[in-house]
Amino acid sequence: MSNSHLFLKPGFINVPLQNGVGRYVSQLQRVVLKFCKNNGSSRGMREFIESGLVNFAKENPGVVVYLKPRRHRSAVIKAEYLNGDEQWMSCRNSTQEEISKWLNLLVCQSKNHTGTRIRKLWHTDHPSIQGPWTPFTFRDPKLNLATFPNEELAKPKDSDVSNHERLIELFKKQKLGDLENRRGE
Amino acid sequence: MSALKRVQQWATFARIWHIYNAAWQNPFHSSELIKKYLMGMHKPIYHPMNDCGDHVIVINSADIALPGDEWKKRVYFHHTGYPGGATWTLAWNLHEKDPTMIIKKAVYNSMDGNLQRRYTMQRLHIFPDENVPKELLGNVSNEIRQLRPMPKRLDDYPEKDVKEFPKVIDYPKDYVLR
Repeated sequence: MSNSHLFLKPGFINVPLQNGVGRYVSQLQRVVLKFCKNNGSSRGMREFIESGLVNFAKENPGVVVYLKPRRHRSAVIKAEYLNGDEQWMSCRNSTQEEISKWLNLLVCQSKNHTGTRIRKLWHTDHPSIQGPWTPFTFRDPKLNLATFPNEELAKPKDSDVSNHERLIELFKKQKLGDLENRRGE
Repeated sequence: MSALKRVQQWATFARIWHIYNAAWQNPFHSSELIKKYLMGMHKPIYHPMNDCGDHVIVINSADIALPGDEWKKRVYFHHTGYPGGATWTLAWNLHEKDPTMIIKKAVYNSMDGNLQRRYTMQRLHIFPDENVPKELLGNVSNEIRQLRPMPKRLDDYPEKDVKEFPKVIDYPKDYVLR
């Protein structure tokens, strides 16, 4: 078993300011594509810039796109979010398709999720309609008026009728029978 | 946390006071029952990490019933820490010295030995008879059902009931009543 999760920040799934209810604001603010003009490791990045970047910028008018050529360095995407998060992603030797997929992820997500352990795969502000349990829910109302210690409440629920009580019951029945007999006479 | 949620928190984690009549009860079986209330295991919100245990008042601990010959055979061990400081006390002897001790030890031993055990024990209040301080009794809002029905002794019945009790047999003429 690994202990790697101990170093992850635990968190819940959440959305800033009810994003997507009524209106949607892309949370990606700025993206910087860093690449080298002649190194082979940024070839995919160069291809993406040539073919896909203009479309990407047109589809996402809310995202500022910067290009930053750097000599003899590998390709990198740096993203900045509206909540101030920064995300740095190495794109060394990645193809054009991979880069466009990663960019799509950056546009869709609301903050930098790397290094967080999602505690539950769902989250709600209202986990229960009837309200959380308290010691007084489902309580027998007759306990409200009872005085303690109470002999009746202390008896075990499955206690049987004792022979003593049975004998008294029989005796009472016999007495009643005697009375009726006398009336019959 | 909003004001409403704060109150909700207090309500959910409110400590309830239970009362348990230990008269005629086996302390070792009762301790398993009492322990659940002390640790809050009877609640749907129970989790070993949350502090939701209740208070339990045990009354009539002087009238507990040990099974078989356990009064004579059960031994409580104590060591003072000094050489030769070991003592072995029989259950009847311990009960004579402190009538709350047997049930206290039974509950203590029924729980796992972790850091929480001492604090859980602080929520257990044992009284040898029915004289519970009023401020404690005022908190009680539930009674834990006993494990066994309490038998009633002949001297507990009023004299009138004893005299009117139906006669089942006639003693033979030569029967000597002692």
